[in-house]
Amino acid sequence: MRPLTEEESKTVFTKLANYIGKNLVHLVDRNDEPYCFRLHKDRVYYVSEANMRLSISIARQNLLSLGTCFGKFSKSGKFKLHVTALDYLAQYAKYKIWIKPNGEMPFLYGNHVLKAHLGRITEDTPEHQGVVVFNMSDIPLGFGVTARSTVDTRKLDPTAIIVFHQADVGEYLRDEDTLI
Amino acid sequence: MDVSNLLAAQASKFQSVAVEKDTPLDVDAGFLTVTDLNPIDEDSYRSNLEEFLKSTARDGIQALVAALYELPTESSIDGPVTKLPPPTTQLPRAKPLPKPKPPTKWERFAAAKGIQKKRRDRKVWDEEKQEWVNRWGRDGKNKETEDQWIHEVKANADVDFDPVQAARDERKSRVAKNERQRLQNLARAQTAQSEREQRKIELEKTLAATRTSTASMGKFDRKLEGDKKMRGMKRKFDPTEMSAEKEKQASLAVLSQLDGDAKRAKIDKGAGDEVVNVRKAIRAVSKGKGGVVSGREQRKGSKESGKGKRGKR
Repeated sequence: MRPLTEEESKTVFTKLANYIGKNLVHLVDRNDEPYCFRLHKDRVYYVSEANMRLSISIARQNLLSLGTCFGKFSKSGKFKLHVTALDYLAQYAKYKIWIKPNGEMPFLYGNHVLKAHLGRITEDTPEHQGVVVFNMSDIPLGFGVTARSTVDTRKLDPTAIIVFHQADVGEYLRDEDTLI
Repeated sequence: MDVSNLLAAQASKFQSVAVEKDTPLDVDAGFLTVTDLNPIDEDSYRSNLEEFLKSTARDGIQALVAALYELPTESSIDGPVTKLPPPTTQLPRAKPLPKPKPPTKWERFAAAKGIQKKRRDRKVWDEEKQEWVNRWGRDGKNKETEDQWIHEVKANADVDFDPVQAARDERKSRVAKNERQRLQNLARAQTAQSEREQRKIELEKTLAATRTSTASMGKFDRKLEGDKKMRGMKRKFDPTEMSAEKEKQASLAVLSQLDGDAKRAKIDKGAGDEVVNVRKAIRAVSKGKGGVVSGREQRKGSKESGKGKRGKR
């Protein structure tokens, strides 16, 4: 377990900024208690400082997880967000999308969001923008990247993809072994 | 009432204060350390390890406590206190001995001429003030000529000649010269390696380069017997436990940097940041002709229609 280098911090923050934008400051500079990012076994964890100090005394191979896993670095150095970061993304999301009840199950099985399943979407959402997917009763289901801007979606036919799937809460069951 | 047998039974429970060993225990009260150099009794070690270790430890502690009680004590608020003697055990150095620095140019010259180094005192006697003053630094003797209230000036000196400034410049130039010589000595010390050493380092660098110059970065090359393992770059990471404030500042610095990059990218993009692509929209409306051509056609059309009407009238 170690702090992120400047390059790693840049990579992580760039990815997070795509979803929560300027609200990223609220993750770094919190009022309640100090939190920090830590890298452990290629995974990035968001931990309270108190927990981080406790976890120092645990041997690396014995330490399974700490705090909230935000994602992992691939072998090529790219950063992939995990569904475990959803709570924070949903809290600070800049752009949101709500899907109809008939679109929940397809999304939770790892499929992209189609226009037919679209309930509501934040105004002026640009193309290739990170969005958090909610159901109609405001429960976060996952997150993805918009395929088209809000303006363009109006012209599309119902079978067109509007959000590319990135992660969903169904992964807690599907990828139970590999998630941590 | 005879209690001697009761006392004897009670005494038999406790071991003797005196520790009897074949080789006396080596007690270093300075480090509060006891070294037992006696060979281990294998039978008792094998049969009951815990008991053996306890008895050995007990003997050691007993010897140490006995040694501490022999030391002179002083009374204090917390009770009697003893001052430990200086340690006798020689501990090894944590770091290796520093390498001797190569001599400076002056040191070599002094050695050749047999000049003995004289340490200059920090203080020097001032006849006028009748007291010891600093040789250098604050109110130093070396600033005497600058600070004096009257200065001799040569008859042929310039009109704007400032003796105070001249004295100061001279002193500063001496300081600068000293610093320059110090840096030269440092540079000389770094290049003091022999030709042979330099050649060796050069060869090692070349060899390292050739070893990684295959498509697989030398991963599948045959290893020779004397080959050392390649030493890569050692990455340095921040300590795991940092102050939260420090870490927060570092993260915020990265964030502000990213923010700056985003703004710069927007400026570079310019008008391409709009929601609707205007040029594309115009081309779609004008059926691929573009804004200028369709505008021209519209104007031409309006003129022709005017002519037609006039003809009818």
